[in-house]
Amino acid sequence: MSGGFNEIHPEPTTFWDKYIISFDHKVIAKQFLWYGIFFLGLGGMMALLIRWTLAYPGVPFPVLGNILFSQSGGVVPPDTYAMLFTMHGTIMIFYAITPILIGAFGNYCIPLMIGARDMAFPMLNMLSFWFAFLSGVVLLISLFLPLGAAAGGWTSYPTLSTIIGSPGAGQTLWCLAIFLFGASSTMGAVNYVTTVITLRAPGMGYFDMPLTVWGLWLTAILNAIFVPVLGAGVILLMMDRVMGTTFFLAGASATSGSGDPVLFQHVFWIFGHPEVYILILPAWGIVSDLLSFFSRKPAFGAKATALAMTAVTVLSTLVYGHHMFTTQMSPLLTQSFMTLTMTISIPSAIFFANWLGTIWKGSIRFDSPMLFSLGVVFVFGLGGLTGLHLGTVTTDLYLHDTYFVVGHFHYTMAASVLLGGFAGIYFWFPKMFGKMMNETMAKIHFWGTMIPLNGIFFGMLMIGYGGMHRRIYNPFVYESLKRLIPINQMITTSAIIMGAFQILFVINFIWSLRKGAKAPNNPWEVGTLEWTIPSPPVHHNYDVIPVVKCGPHELGNPNLKNGRDFQYQTEELVEG
Amino acid sequence: MKRSDLQSNLAMMIVLLSGAMLFATLFMGYAIYRTSAPVWPPLGIPKISLFIPFLSTLVISVSSWFAYQFKTYVKVSNFIKAHSNLNWTLLTGFGFLAMQSYFWFHLKNTGVFLGTSGIFGSVIYGYTWIHAIHMVLGLGSLTYLKIVLRPETVNVLQKAINVEKFWHFLGIIWIIMFLTLFVL
Repeated sequence: MSGGFNEIHPEPTTFWDKYIISFDHKVIAKQFLWYGIFFLGLGGMMALLIRWTLAYPGVPFPVLGNILFSQSGGVVPPDTYAMLFTMHGTIMIFYAITPILIGAFGNYCIPLMIGARDMAFPMLNMLSFWFAFLSGVVLLISLFLPLGAAAGGWTSYPTLSTIIGSPGAGQTLWCLAIFLFGASSTMGAVNYVTTVITLRAPGMGYFDMPLTVWGLWLTAILNAIFVPVLGAGVILLMMDRVMGTTFFLAGASATSGSGDPVLFQHVFWIFGHPEVYILILPAWGIVSDLLSFFSRKPAFGAKATALAMTAVTVLSTLVYGHHMFTTQMSPLLTQSFMTLTMTISIPSAIFFANWLGTIWKGSIRFDSPMLFSLGVVFVFGLGGLTGLHLGTVTTDLYLHDTYFVVGHFHYTMAASVLLGGFAGIYFWFPKMFGKMMNETMAKIHFWGTMIPLNGIFFGMLMIGYGGMHRRIYNPFVYESLKRLIPINQMITTSAIIMGAFQILFVINFIWSLRKGAKAPNNPWEVGTLEWTIPSPPVHHNYDVIPVVKCGPHELGNPNLKNGRDFQYQTEELVEG
Repeated sequence: MKRSDLQSNLAMMIVLLSGAMLFATLFMGYAIYRTSAPVWPPLGIPKISLFIPFLSTLVISVSSWFAYQFKTYVKVSNFIKAHSNLNWTLLTGFGFLAMQSYFWFHLKNTGVFLGTSGIFGSVIYGYTWIHAIHMVLGLGSLTYLKIVLRPETVNVLQKAINVEKFWHFLGIIWIIMFLTLFVL
């Protein structure tokens, strides 16, 4: 259903209309970007506090320690440590990655890349941001409560998260914040799915859409279906905490008939496993496009990549049980979930091979977006392979709840998505702000991120394999784990180095916004629709709705005679 | 179909899909509680009379029928009859909520409490409350329609269709709730 019901909305004139309650998808994208970067910094600081505690137990955290934890002499106290890893996970997943990858890129790229003037429902889009904002405020407030923020882990399993395990209002506000964020995500999903289906430019079939849009679209579908599952879970958890119900309480806590704490795990992971793909699909889409653009070659097997991503999306809904192998699940179920989990390897291998096929014999341009994209290929490869250990029952029983799990999901959900996010920022920054980022600083930022990042997460795989459990305040009270202190110190040093290099990114970002060279309309010489219009685009994006005549990856065509090695999607395909 | 209507229909379907997943999760939980309980209701819990929930089911079904009539009259631009049917939809909707409130008092008087009746009390109160909150949203939408229901209102038919769908959805959820929580 392509074509265009695309009205030109009048341009807002006041500051309030233009920047605060803007209906413009580009402004909302930037709002999500600032929001995500703020929380990325906050979650990153928490990560450093966690890492310091694990590498140097009992040693005060430098500089900030005495300000934040004056009562314990600058040392992170045990209860605060539990809050830190809980809030770090929550913030990074829901408040940093989601707003940047889905909120910012989804809002910015979808209408521009499909040739639309805005989202299908601009007002809903605005509400989506402000619901997310409200959710963020609620979560931040919980940090300052007398008994502190939530401390039951980002998964918030009962009984840790019930009123018995987590007294105080922190966990309750966590539930409320997640519910509000879910409402925001659902609003976004309604908009994204509808926009892609109804507002594609004339001539743009589904397989003419850039793979970035494919990734974001599939993510939105998963969001619409599975976020409400978590919504139901946190409503019941909140009722347990506030109203005295017993949905997730068992045994003596429930006086007549009993609830079921494990039910929350089911509910959480029915949402939680698709959530992994909700986060990674946009990054996959972005990387699939960028590898083609910067290899100056058509994306190898682009249709197969789109279909493989779709297959992963479908399969992701059927495998959640592999997170629960250790909950006394029946062997029949564990083997079923294991088999289904292994099945995901097939489509994953297809698009991974397509990525390699795309860069094979390409005229690769090692610009910063390409470097970060290649980084994603590497780290996602590692993350995916380590997933096999955890999807297999026999090995998972040993590795469950160890740092191997932490290393695995950081490779897939953190490293891949972070690098994919940076690739996207460096790539679309010129279109977003009309300025070029400093390429030298960007490349230094890449290496300063990529090398320590592997130090951190590969180190985690190693200590996990060595038997170190996650979420323990001081693992080295166990004699057998003392030998892992040096690796932990290496991980922490890597984290500090990586953190320091992010300052370079912030400097580059702000400096480029103010003093960066003016961006041309198409600095990367690619043919998708957003590069046919000025940088930054005008309020209504397209004066005339474009007509699409070829695919998004028409690069390196030997029949081209106009001195370019790429074609715009609005041009007829040049054939020999 | 106009493109804006298509967008609106599609968006409503996604909203309903999301809502369906929320309630499906609740029903999945209930299935687990029921199948893992040795007896249901658990020992010590009095049997609940079906009379009030049955009346509620009747009222919400009638309300759904009025909503359907309302949409049909908007379709043929008979706004007088549309208003009349919308009034009845609203009235029966509020009636349903009033009966639910009475049912909660009745539960309390019967000795079924939220906090001390274990999982049974949690499910009966919790699930019906969550449904009632959605009913309040539905009544809010119907009230909005009542305010804007005029021939000159932009996309009035599409608005009526969307609210009607949501109202039927709530009716269907309640019927499933009635059958699973009370009858079975």
